[in-house]
Parts: sequence; structure tokens; C-alpha cells
Amino acid sequence: MNTAIRIFELSLGEMLWSRRSVFLALLGAAPVALAGLIRFAAFAGPAALPQVNGERLDGSVLFGLMIWLLYIRFIVPVLGMFYGTSLIADEVDDKTITYLFVRPIPRGAVLVGKYLAYFVCTALLILPSVVLVYFLVVPIGGGSLGGTFPAFLTDLGMLAAGIASYGALFAWVGARLKRPLVIGLVFVFGWEPGVLLFPGYLKRATIAYYLQGLVPHAMPQDSAVSVLLQAFQEMPPVALSLAALGGVTLIGVYLAARATESREYVLEQ
Amino acid sequence: MNRKTRYFVIVSLLVLGIGVGVGLVAYYVGVPTAFAQQGPDELQMVPGNALVVAYANVHEVMVSNLREHVRQALPQLPDGQREFEAATGINIESDVDRVVAAIVPAEDGRVAGPRSSLIIATGRFDQVRIESLMREHGAAEETYRGRRMFVARDGGAGLSLAFVESGLVAVGSTALVQGAIDRKDGGVSVRTNDDIMTRVRSLDRGNVWAVGRFDALASQANLPSNVTTQLPPITWFAVSGHVNGGLLGDVRMETRDEVSANQFRDVIRGILALGNMQASTHPELETVLRSIQVNGSGKTVAVSFELSAETLDLLARRPGLQPGR
Repeated sequence: MNTAIRIFELSLGEMLWSRRSVFLALLGAAPVALAGLIRFAAFAGPAALPQVNGERLDGSVLFGLMIWLLYIRFIVPVLGMFYGTSLIADEVDDKTITYLFVRPIPRGAVLVGKYLAYFVCTALLILPSVVLVYFLVVPIGGGSLGGTFPAFLTDLGMLAAGIASYGALFAWVGARLKRPLVIGLVFVFGWEPGVLLFPGYLKRATIAYYLQGLVPHAMPQDSAVSVLLQAFQEMPPVALSLAALGGVTLIGVYLAARATESREYVLEQ
Repeated sequence: MNRKTRYFVIVSLLVLGIGVGVGLVAYYVGVPTAFAQQGPDELQMVPGNALVVAYANVHEVMVSNLREHVRQALPQLPDGQREFEAATGINIESDVDRVVAAIVPAEDGRVAGPRSSLIIATGRFDQVRIESLMREHGAAEETYRGRRMFVARDGGAGLSLAFVESGLVAVGSTALVQGAIDRKDGGVSVRTNDDIMTRVRSLDRGNVWAVGRFDALASQANLPSNVTTQLPPITWFAVSGHVNGGLLGDVRMETRDEVSANQFRDVIRGILALGNMQASTHPELETVLRSIQVNGSGKTVAVSFELSAETLDLLARRPGLQPGR
């Protein structure tokens, strides 16, 4: 465990100040900028705020929409995919993995340390972004900060669980397979939205399905997926969602560590 | 971990910690005033389609000199106040700090007496007494979203009452009271109704105010056609008063068009001129009439007045207002 923590400390700095982090910072800052714009529009004239059935949306509803559409459906899966797949793949591409593996530390500890660095780095960028969005958006139109606080805490926990589980899954993909980014893109933008469209058991092979079970906000009816999910009451119970996400995280990290231990990495010359 | 990384981690944790801390304070204590929305918090419980919204800081009014003058002139409680206390066990004078009332059209779009009224009162309530009175009146006890509620049994025509939280009571038809509980923690409310909120924001100096759709109310009042045709073409009204030593009042009305507004202003000025002619023998009335200003531009007609404590004293000493005469 000590070795994993040393790798974590080393990797956290590398991860935070890498070029990839510019992308991460943009993803974290975009919802804050959008929330700022919405807040400014609300100050300038409430007529600029979006309406549903002739009634203007209030801050708590807008915040729920932003959590669904920006964080759950885009930011968390995309970050998990980009960072998770790169934990080992980047070291292979940069041909620096040899320097890590020749040290007298278990290979699995390298993966676990890097995974912890990914989790802390991503969580420390995304969760404060959610906090800022919450305080910018919720008070609009009379939304109650106190009244929505339990849902806000649930959001933070749910997003942390999402970051952990997507990261673990893609850490395993990155450690185990070649071209992990392509597989990640297919999973996030093809498999998950596609499978959720159909009734049946296939959706249980996605992370999004269990993540949706933890969301305290009403699902926006912006797509066929949402309408079908709501029509069939296809929301898993909270306990099942927590167990599934926890299982994915633990098993994903374990399999990723195993793959790192056993796989022969061939560096291209 | 180098210094840059350490700073980043500290700043992120600070943002997260402060955010959660402020949220916790808002959850347990309430939102600090600096973050509060304009208008009283109870507006969050009023439906967005309310036709009229009214507010009174009852505590300020009850401890004001004006109230003392009124009490001297009318020592008996008004009938409505007595009936409300008999029905709900709430003494408006002593129990209520502030009250928000609203008139909301029923599902069929009509305004129908108690079915369309919602009263949200904040104060100190004798819950045991109120509950026993509600039971005496045949109300059924229910729990709605964890809140104790007494539901009227007479087909929705009577009053239902719910203890929304400690010191906060909602009274009205069952549907309106349940809706108020639903909206308590957020959701679409009258605060998202720009037409009403714009006018509410303009009344910030009053401790008593009302805003509403005059045309919608007049069309539902079943008035005789000869009366309806004589009504001024007012669409919106906003009334505010600041009750303290005296009474500072503002009445603003919006008409359908500028021509109607001009005519309406002329009518009010004519009535004032007539009053001034008659007031020469009544100096107290002359002071009142002199304080009335008629203003406004475009479709707005504004009437403001200021009654000082001295004027109120003069009015209270009028023979017709002396108790026992």
C-alpha cells in the first residue's frame, strides 16, 4: 500500500499539470461558465430563462438538468474514459513504463497508485465545479439552497461514484487491451446510449444505468432513452445501484492490477 | 507532491468544503439574508398561476401607532377575524408574525371562494388548540409528505390546514395546501411568474402589499352587466402601504391602453377636486386630500398618499369615529 501511495503522489502532480489537464479544466469550467451566463440572464431579465409549458424553470430544476445533461451523460463518462484508458497506455506510448517496472515494487501497486491519482485529480476538479454551479444556479427564481441541499450532497456522492466506476472500468480496458481509447469511445457513445434504448437485461451491462438510479433529480425528457426509461420505470433501486457501482470499481481496479501484473508490454521501437 | 499540486488540492478542497458548509448552514439555519430572493420566503409556496398575492407583516402592523388608532376607533374585533379564529384557532393579532395570501383559480380556471384561497402564516401557533378545533369541525387528520394535515370533509369547500414546519402554517383548500407543501423545497412557484414578481419587487418599501390581476378577478365576480361596463379598464393593480406611526400608501393600476389611463387619471383628479371643495369645513379631510398625489405615465395610474400620525389623530377624533357614538 505504501508503494501505491508513493506512485499516487508522483502521478497526481504529473496528471494535474499535463496537457490532458487543459481538457479536464475546460470540461470542469464549461458548466460553471454556462451557470454564470444563466445567472447573468436571470439578473438581466427573467424572460431570458428557459420555459417548459409556459412556466419558467426555477434554479433547482435547471441545476437538475445540468447534472443530467452535462455531468452524468457527458463529463463523467468522458473523463473516466480519457484518464482511465491512459493510466498505463500513456506510459507505454511514452516508453517510460520500463522505468516504473524495473523498480522493486509490485506492478499492481503502480496501477492502483495511478488509479488513485486519477480519482483525486478528477474529483478535485469536477466536484468543486458542481459546487460553483449549484450556488450560481439554484437560487435563481426562488430555488431553496437549504431545501435542495440533501439532493446536492447526493449529487456529489453520485458523481464521485461515477468517476470511480468509469475510471476503474477503463483502467482495466487500458491495461488489458490495445487501442483502449477506441473501445472506450464505442462504449461511452455507442454501447451505453444504445442499450439503454431497449427494454430487457442488456442495460445492466452499463454503468450509466446504475448511475441513473442514484440521481435525485427528475430525468429530463429530452430523448427517447429518457422517455422509455421513465415509461418502463427502469430505474434500479439505490441499494442495487450502489452495490453495482462499488462492484464495478473494486473488480475493475483488481482486474486492471492483475492485467498490469501479467501482461507483457512490448514497446514499439 | 510539489507545492503547485499542494496548492491546487487545498484550493479544491476549500471550494468543496465551503460549498458543503454553506449548504449545511442553509439546510439547518436558513439562507443568509444576503442570498435571499426578493419578497418573503413564503412566496415559494404560492402557485405560479396565482391571480392575486398579498403580504402583511402582521407583527409590525399590530405594534404600530396606526393599529392603536384603529383599535380605539373600533374596539370590537372585525367579524372576519373572529370567524377565522373560530375556524382555525389562530389569533391573527397575537399568533401571526407575517402572512402571505393568494387567490388561485381552480382547475376549471374559475375563482371560487375558499377553494381558491391560500393563506400561509408564520408565527407562534398553539398546535394542540388548533388541532382540537380542526377535529371539532370534522376535519380528517392526514399525513402528507411527512407533514401533519387536517383536511376539510365538505367536498373541498371548507378550509384545510397543514403544519408545514415549526411556526409555519398553510390554510386553504386541500389541493392548494398540498401544492404549497410540494413547492416548499423548490419547484415552479409564483416566484417564476414574471408579471407578478416584477410588481412585487417594485413594492419593496411596504410592510403590507397586494398585487394582482384586476381584470381576471372582475370577470369572475359575477357582477351585474351594468356594473361591469362601468368598471375602469384596469388590468393589473399593485397596492402597498407602510404602516408605522402613520400610513404611507401607493396604489398603482395598469389599464388596457394609454387613453384609458389618461381618462382614469382625470376621473381621480376630478374626485379629488370635488373632495377639496367639500373639505373646507373639515380641516382633517383637507390634510388627507392634500397628501394624495396622482401620477403615472403611459398605461400606469399611480396614486400615493401619506397620513402622518397627527392626521390620524385628527381623523380619530372625528365625532363619527369616537367609540360609543
